[in-house]
Amino acid sequence: MSEQQTHKAHRPAQSGAKADKKGKGKQHSGFNEKAFAPKSGRRADRQGRRNVERDQTRLHVPLVDRTPEDAPPPVIVALVGPPGVGKTTLLKSLVRRYSKQTLQDAKGPITVIGGKKRRLTFIECNNDLNSMIDVAKVVDLVLLMIDGSFGFEMETFEFLNILQSHGFPKVIGILSHLDLIKKQSALKDTKKALKKRFWTEIYQGAKLFYLSGVLNGRYPDSEILNLSRFISVMKFRPLVFRNNHPYLLADRIEDLTPRETIRASKGKCDRTVTLYGYLRGTNLRESTKIHIPGVGDLNMTSVTLLGDPCPLPDVDSEKRRKLSEKRKLLVHAPMSDVGGLMYDKDSVWINVPGNFTRGPADASQSVPQGEGEQMVIDLQDVNATLEDGIFRSQIRLLGSSSKHLSVDPTSHAQDVSDTDEEEDDDDENDNWSDEDEEDSEEPNGSNSDNGEDPSVDSGENDFLDDADTLITSRGNNGRGAYRNATRPLEGLAEKEEDGDIAFADSDSEFGGNDDFFRPKEIAESYDDDLDMTKEPLLPEDLQEWEDEENLDSIRSLFITGNETATAGTDVEEQNEEESGGEEYEESETTRAAALTAKKEALKRKFDEQYDDPEGDKMDFYDEKKDELNRQLQLNRAEFEDVDGEARTLVEGYRPGTYVRIELSSVPCEMIENFDPHYPLIVGGLLPAEERFGYLQVRIKRHRWSIKTLKTNDPLIFSLGWRRFQTIPIYSLDDHSIRMRMLKYTPEHMHCYATFYGPVALPNSGFCAFNSLNGDSAGFRVSATGVVLDIDRSAKIVKKLKLTGVPFKIFKNTAFVKDMFTSALEVAKFEGAAIRTVSGIRGQVKKALSKPQGAFRATFEDKLLMSDIVFLRAWYSIQPRQFYNPVTSLLLSDKSRWQGMRLTGQVRRDEGIKTPLNVNSHYKPVKRIPRRFNPLKISKKLQASLPYASKPRAMKAQSTKTYMQKRAVVMEPEERKAIALLQQIRALRKDQVVRRKEKQNERKEVHRKKVAKEEALQGEKDKEKRKEIMRLAGIKHKRQADAEEGNGSSRKKRRTSS
Amino acid sequence: MATQVLNFSGHQYLRQRLVLSVLSGKSVRIDKIRSADKNPGLQDYEISLLQLLEKATNGTVIEISVTGTAVLFKPGIISGGLVTHECPLSRAVGYFLEPLIMLAPFAKMPFQCTLRGITTDDMDLSVDLIRTVTLPHLQPFGISDGLELRIKKRGAPPGGGGEVQFLCPVVKQIKTLNFVEPGKIKRIRGIAHAVRVSPQFSNRMIDACRSVLNRYIPDIYLYSDVYKGDESGKSPGYALSLLAESTTSAIHCAEAVAKPGGTPEDVALLASRALLSEIRRGGCIDRKHQSLVLLMMVLGSEDVGRCRMGEASPRSLQFLQDIKTFFGTSFKVVSANPADRSCKESFYSCYGVGYVNINRTLA
Repeated sequence: MSEQQTHKAHRPAQSGAKADKKGKGKQHSGFNEKAFAPKSGRRADRQGRRNVERDQTRLHVPLVDRTPEDAPPPVIVALVGPPGVGKTTLLKSLVRRYSKQTLQDAKGPITVIGGKKRRLTFIECNNDLNSMIDVAKVVDLVLLMIDGSFGFEMETFEFLNILQSHGFPKVIGILSHLDLIKKQSALKDTKKALKKRFWTEIYQGAKLFYLSGVLNGRYPDSEILNLSRFISVMKFRPLVFRNNHPYLLADRIEDLTPRETIRASKGKCDRTVTLYGYLRGTNLRESTKIHIPGVGDLNMTSVTLLGDPCPLPDVDSEKRRKLSEKRKLLVHAPMSDVGGLMYDKDSVWINVPGNFTRGPADASQSVPQGEGEQMVIDLQDVNATLEDGIFRSQIRLLGSSSKHLSVDPTSHAQDVSDTDEEEDDDDENDNWSDEDEEDSEEPNGSNSDNGEDPSVDSGENDFLDDADTLITSRGNNGRGAYRNATRPLEGLAEKEEDGDIAFADSDSEFGGNDDFFRPKEIAESYDDDLDMTKEPLLPEDLQEWEDEENLDSIRSLFITGNETATAGTDVEEQNEEESGGEEYEESETTRAAALTAKKEALKRKFDEQYDDPEGDKMDFYDEKKDELNRQLQLNRAEFEDVDGEARTLVEGYRPGTYVRIELSSVPCEMIENFDPHYPLIVGGLLPAEERFGYLQVRIKRHRWSIKTLKTNDPLIFSLGWRRFQTIPIYSLDDHSIRMRMLKYTPEHMHCYATFYGPVALPNSGFCAFNSLNGDSAGFRVSATGVVLDIDRSAKIVKKLKLTGVPFKIFKNTAFVKDMFTSALEVAKFEGAAIRTVSGIRGQVKKALSKPQGAFRATFEDKLLMSDIVFLRAWYSIQPRQFYNPVTSLLLSDKSRWQGMRLTGQVRRDEGIKTPLNVNSHYKPVKRIPRRFNPLKISKKLQASLPYASKPRAMKAQSTKTYMQKRAVVMEPEERKAIALLQQIRALRKDQVVRRKEKQNERKEVHRKKVAKEEALQGEKDKEKRKEIMRLAGIKHKRQADAEEGNGSSRKKRRTSS
Repeated sequence: MATQVLNFSGHQYLRQRLVLSVLSGKSVRIDKIRSADKNPGLQDYEISLLQLLEKATNGTVIEISVTGTAVLFKPGIISGGLVTHECPLSRAVGYFLEPLIMLAPFAKMPFQCTLRGITTDDMDLSVDLIRTVTLPHLQPFGISDGLELRIKKRGAPPGGGGEVQFLCPVVKQIKTLNFVEPGKIKRIRGIAHAVRVSPQFSNRMIDACRSVLNRYIPDIYLYSDVYKGDESGKSPGYALSLLAESTTSAIHCAEAVAKPGGTPEDVALLASRALLSEIRRGGCIDRKHQSLVLLMMVLGSEDVGRCRMGEASPRSLQFLQDIKTFFGTSFKVVSANPADRSCKESFYSCYGVGYVNINRTLA
């Protein structure tokens, strides 16, 4: 028996059924084409369409994602919801899930490691609208908590609207308090109803989580685990605004102001403050101005890169599939009490679990103390400062010294200042001498402190240095100029701070002292320093081109020139000759490598073209994405080899890094009233956003907002990083001719608004509020919209009607008064179109000398004295230059910010009665009926009128007409004839009358007869009806009797039985 | 919010500082403008430039001190649109066009600017060069459609009388430049123009020029451009502008203007030799247009832009420093060929500031 038994290794079958099966199995494990083949042409068509549609959902506008892939900043996850919904409980549960630590007092942002490639910053958003706005601007993922037992609350919808106007980040809904609904069916219905509403608000299919009851002050672990899985796989699309602004969610704040200054000013001095946090968005540069929402615009004094307090797992742990347990423990939350450490405003509190007593001083042996503990206890014993200690110390310089060293405080202070100055000077000298030294330095040596000069950035460029000196010799180095400019003008510099620049009135301010009017002896040669683009051509310099050799030397720069004989290789060859063997080999190898690379590329190109000529053609979308990716790779690669300091100088601080931002002159209230429950955001501003101007926005009143918005009422905007109150003027485009002011925003319609404020990029969304206070009833988001245009002036007009009355009327001309007050005004309006209320159009002609402001006007018809003439004009209005930033973070009660109030509000608050204008009283209106004179139309005109337009006669003619009045004399025969005719007519008339009488008589007789007959007939009918009724009555009676008889018989039977 | 005021002194580089001020929105105060000179204060053409800027913008405040030795410039927004300007005869139209070209893409409305004055002189870029070289330099930045310079009339110094019309479209954001391949010169073009002199002069210039350049490349077209009558301005003059385009469409240019007493052949030789010098300097960008390209690189999106340039001119160096003061952007400058110490070409790369044309209207 051998000691080590060797087993024969397994040899898989190379052929036969098993091998076949194996191969086949692999094939079948994938997509079986046959199984999914459409059965009918119709189905194939539908499937094809569906595929195309699904393909389209993939397409979004390609956006650059500027977050670095290797170390992205933590994802900000905000917990939002009304109070009492369970935000803190969820936060604690999540932190516990990720870091296995239980927070007692979770305040401010809490950063944990969520996975191998993801960190998470949790932040709880309180119920204040200001906080909601700020959080909405930075959050990547919202956990929107809804009380399942209560339903949606107004705050939730407000928050969703705010989110919508600032770019919609991802939202996960979470229903809590579901354990309060006992009945299963009710629970199901509630879930369904809330889900439906949630989906209409976000999108169909938005993720909604259900959390049941609380166990041990936390949500059930399995539910939290589930939620955390969803968070960890969440993908984020970059939002446009955040993709071009740097920003930071401060997780720590420190006050660096000297204590003494604070004490001296009783805490009212401006503070120097440092803020800490992970950078997000784009690169942050030192020159960037920042805005802290709720505080204001501030300048960064310095930015420092700090070590990552919560680093992502590094390469060695990368190999594991899961995050190591050790990593999980890391949590960064300086504002909370993590690890027993609590960062207060100006102190750090160490929470020692259990009780701690110092014990008696002499019992030190009894209590075993560690070194650190001992040091802390010793520190507590100190009751004199170090300075005092120095004064009291009696150190002798030498052992033999008779006197000990003494410290003179005054001289010390002077020394310090002296050395400071010296150091400053040294620094300057250093700067200059450094540049001198560069020439002598090793060209490849990295130069660390030449940061401020981009042109001499890499020490390799000697020529740049030369050029630099060239400028200095001209006496106008930009840097030198800068210094000269700032120094002698101290008075001016002070003025500058005031923002009041009025230097045109006095010249002495411009460095003009006594010797201002004396021209300096050495006037610079004028021609030299002309601002010329072309450098002067000197024939002497170009003489070299007469030389054939020179002419041939640049032949290689043309396409006709020789390939190898480029200028660069020429030099290389020379180098090779000089340095000899090694380099030659090196260049040989590089050349060979280049050749193979070229061949490879050619081969690939040929293959592509030969195999699949359509293959390399990408669609527009892929092409764009590819382009973006290529640019991102270039961005990463370009500064890879540059050392850190120079790199930040060129590209700024990259997102994902943990930085410390120092701010000077911060209002003291920010520190004094600091509350970690309110998010502190540092938003970087683009250069344009520091400026002010008139913003034209497209705005729509929110349909849930109760009040209509009124022009010139203050409104609070949340735009860009800022929240501010300003006074908008609403307007509508009037036939693309003018922007016409609106008094009120229209219902269910967009309109324009123009207001004065800090510039924001066109196309950035905003939302507006009437009030940010929590106690205002109703929906607080008053309007939403988008920025359209930025300008330095606004072109809004409102209608102005000037009225006047005629005081003298000629035919078509009238003199009009009371429209203008002076002839000058009239002159301005000469030729303007005017109109009467009745619609007669006219024109202003010329001013009259008397009375003042009267003018002559012509009309298309004659005016009446009672006509009112009016002139329709447009009066341009400018929005008020009112800008009031919402400085909520400076208040002790942060939700009580009070902006400018309306007059009515002020009156209500102060208890002042509204002054009544007598003319505004309503009085009974007396309307005297107007009497119109009859319309007179001249005969001539009447004659020419068409028949339809001829005036109708109002009443019968009273006077006799000519035909009636004339006397008629007739011939005898004629008279006879007429008399005969008259007689015949008279006879006829008489006959007709008699006939009629006769007829009447006959008719009378007939009528009587008919009446008699009718009466008889009536009698008969009556009889008939009577008979019928009698019969019916009998029948009815009989029936009733019969029924009664039955009943009685039954009764009888009953009684009998 | 008090906007900061940047201080400069001296009359040099006035144009670029004003341009940067308008683009960055930062106010500038420039003092000591020829304060020690016999002729102190702003010159007429500088005043004229300030007036032009005021016309092209909305809300600009310019305060000039009594002596004219100091100026405070608070920029407004670039409005663009129709602008007409009479340039003084002390400088050519190019002096005014150069800053305008830098500003025009970021205006509210497309620029339609008419400038009258001298079109070609020996100090500033002639309108021919601006048309054929400066405007193509904007193409890689995505400014090309509708970009045009029309030479209506030519005007030679000292009388002037020329007229050009500059049309520029408005862009939202300019593209990032990545131009590191200088390529090889594939064609040479040129314009020989003559006004109020014998038309034969331009032909003589062309012949002389060909005598130098024909040895390199066959693709040489030199246009003879003779303006007559009303279009030829008030004074006689002639000049030759040359440009060489490479396979990667890098353009180099040179120009020579007639001097009194000179011959056309002298002018042609000067121009062609200057072109050769320019070609030898290398890089992808013409030496006279370095600052334009550097500015556009800085104003690009927040990506890395790269460019290979020949030796930087002193103007460009000062421009880099001014960019740093206005935009806070520094360039990384690396020699194009680190192994070769005599190589004067270098790679300029910078991170764009992500400049967005905020003046553009959406509605």
